[in-house]
Amino acid sequence: MTSPGPSLRTPLSRVRYLGAARLGSEAAWRLQVTSVALIPLTVLFVWLVLYLLHLDYSGVRATLSHPLPAIVVLAFVLTGVAHMHVGMRAIVDDYLIGHARERAIIANALVCGILALACAYAALRIGLS
Amino acid sequence: MAASPLPARPISPHLEIYRVTITMAMSILHRITGIGLYVGVLLAAWWLIAAAGGPEAYSRFSGFIGSFLGQFILFGFSWALFHHLLGGVRHLVWDSGYGLDHPLRDQLAWATLIGGVALTLIVWAIGYLVW
Repeated sequence: MTSPGPSLRTPLSRVRYLGAARLGSEAAWRLQVTSVALIPLTVLFVWLVLYLLHLDYSGVRATLSHPLPAIVVLAFVLTGVAHMHVGMRAIVDDYLIGHARERAIIANALVCGILALACAYAALRIGLS
Repeated sequence: MAASPLPARPISPHLEIYRVTITMAMSILHRITGIGLYVGVLLAAWWLIAAAGGPEAYSRFSGFIGSFLGQFILFGFSWALFHHLLGGVRHLVWDSGYGLDHPLRDQLAWATLIGGVALTLIVWAIGYLVW
């Protein structure tokens, strides 16, 4: 492999230590942390879904009112929304510019925010019943 | 900042000429499954909200998810989930610096694809047969 050579960044951009999306490595780190968390959470969530698959409505509510299943659902959904928020932001930054990009960033934030709120409310309502 | 239309300028060919490699295909598939999951998580939200809403709301959800269309969407969503999960593990492994050289990077890419399909089929078999 050849040596890197002179940096192509301006001195100011190097000092600011941020990236093109001006978020620095925060987005990449958040993506990595949520990814690591989602590995066990996905396994647990899939296992829970398989368990709930053949229960009737009262069985589902009874199971999800216990602390551990409720926490698994809550943790999976909220971590997943945090992960998809950062992931979609990366896609937006890759393909859109100008006003379309701004609108997409706002839409992404709204979708993820409402989704997190709705799922948290539903999971808590069942979990606390 | 004014979003004026950019004048048409010549660009180098890329997708037209580049040989499709497994790592390249897995990269865009990782993004596509990610977008699919972004949309499909609405299904999980519907399930949760229906469960919180009462028996009638839940039976409407069950009816849809048990239908052919519902099962088809669920199958696709679960494949996207397992493929993206294994792809994510592959990316985390690469982030540590391991497995970036030939042939391991191609083997990891193929393992992701095959493992994703295998996990989907195994989980669906469990769902249908065991319980």
